[in-house]
Amino acid sequence: MTSRWPAIGVSAVLFGLLLVLALIAPEFLSEPNLDLVDFGPGSMPPFGADDRGRPLWELAAQGARVVALPSVFAGLLVGLFAAAGGLIRSMDLRWADSIVAAFGEIVGAMPRMVVILIVALLLPRDWRGLFPLAATWAILAAPGAMDEAAAVAERLGGARFVEALRAHGYSSWRIFVVHVISYNLRPVIVRQAAEVTMQVVFLEISLSYLATSTDDPSFTHADSVRSWADILHLGYRALAFEAPFMHALFLGLGLVALVAGTTIGLGRAARAR
Amino acid sequence: MKRWWVRPLVRTIAALALPLAVPLLLTLLLWALPGDPASIVCPPENCTGTEALAERWNLDQGPMHFFTEWIASAASGELGASWRMQAGVPVADLVYESVPNTLALIGLAFIPILLGTVLAALDVIHRRLDPVLHLLGLFPAVILAVIAAAWKVLTYTEFGGETVALFLGAAVLGVADGAFSGAVTGTRSVASAERRQRYTGVGVLRGETELSNILPNMTPALVGQLRARILHLFSGAVVVEVVLKIDGLGDLLWQAALVQDFGLVLPVATVFACFSALLLLAQALAEAAVATWIRWSPSGVVDGAA
Repeated sequence: MTSRWPAIGVSAVLFGLLLVLALIAPEFLSEPNLDLVDFGPGSMPPFGADDRGRPLWELAAQGARVVALPSVFAGLLVGLFAAAGGLIRSMDLRWADSIVAAFGEIVGAMPRMVVILIVALLLPRDWRGLFPLAATWAILAAPGAMDEAAAVAERLGGARFVEALRAHGYSSWRIFVVHVISYNLRPVIVRQAAEVTMQVVFLEISLSYLATSTDDPSFTHADSVRSWADILHLGYRALAFEAPFMHALFLGLGLVALVAGTTIGLGRAARAR
Repeated sequence: MKRWWVRPLVRTIAALALPLAVPLLLTLLLWALPGDPASIVCPPENCTGTEALAERWNLDQGPMHFFTEWIASAASGELGASWRMQAGVPVADLVYESVPNTLALIGLAFIPILLGTVLAALDVIHRRLDPVLHLLGLFPAVILAVIAAAWKVLTYTEFGGETVALFLGAAVLGVADGAFSGAVTGTRSVASAERRQRYTGVGVLRGETELSNILPNMTPALVGQLRARILHLFSGAVVVEVVLKIDGLGDLLWQAALVQDFGLVLPVATVFACFSALLLLAQALAEAAVATWIRWSPSGVVDGAA
């Protein structure tokens, strides 16, 4: 049996790092200082400077603040949907099962990015931000999560499992919350929630990168705030034009690895024993 | 007995409804926003002649009038004109220029996915490679596309051109976001579940191959997975086309969304809906064909046994 504690420890530390970054993010970036433009981590710890001589940690922290709450919110939403999918199958609610299947067919029929762009287009400018896009992404991801949780509940025995526990005299709370959700659906719920959290972070990076690369305002945050995509764009300039920002590329990839590591860690931590 | 034709029928109906439902929903959403659509598209404080534009774009008589006029034109291949991005340029021209690039990109990206599916069904890819595949699949499309774009810029003088961008984009799409690894692990999971069934063992004892026994039963699940993966490719194509500067539908949608060009977003989204509908129809056909074949095949066995 593999212990889950290392995975729990690693994911907690990585997630904590992400939250700390978000919490210490300055509201406004430091004033540009062109004398510091090509300063690397050695000259300007911990991460070096950007193309205007501002500390890169400020960009990393602001980017963490942009993604932290909306991505966690989307993850929690998908976790709730997954739990609902598993419970519907456990309760043998066939009408609800049919509705979920129909919902899945409709929602899953269009490419997700197309739907996200349409939502971004239709959102009034005042409402623009990552939250509505994260919620949309969570809804688009929900059918898959519900389906997987329902399959787990089915393998468990579905309504017969619940009936057996009722015969033991267990309360509904103990059956559904403790046994069905906590003991059996937990791995699926946590993994799906963690994956959607990661996907929303990557969605933000993608949308902001596309906007940054064409010098357009982002759909996901205010113009005064920087995203991790800005760090990656500096990295792109280092790769493509040999600009002195290779440290930005490593930081960008490190931040992506931080999110991916948290997701993998959480998935492993929640594994069934 | 479960009615086998229900699922294919539902998919067929969904496929027929999708190209109508998407523009209808978009139109209703435009009208549901605060303010009238003409003012959203052309704010009176920024541009003059809002009323004339509203009349020209059929925005002056409600959503159903707009939708019916647009859908009638679209049925004859007339998709209207761009409102903002390239004001006045026929959208059909822009779409016809973009579709081949997007289809080429998706087609090329589908090759590694199909390869992964076939190899996993044949149980050729060893499970020890799973960590490597998972690691590879963790990279989001945007990161790989950025690296590919940098490589394209660095080697432009040597290789250059749209074709290189297409191949690079396809490689990115085929690997990123778990596309290849998902195809391998997804197919293997379906195939191994069927291999564990008793009928497979009985078939092997009769001298038949394992694959010929499991293939009919796993085909519907595999077709469903492949449809989801192609949709995923269409989704990733938006990012890849913009980063690698490929003139495809995704790039067109992105540019239109940036400038809130509803006249362009509506037809492009409808074209995406048409592709999705075709995929749904293909899945329905595959499911119906497999179900018919399974029901037709055992008749001789029963007669012989009797």
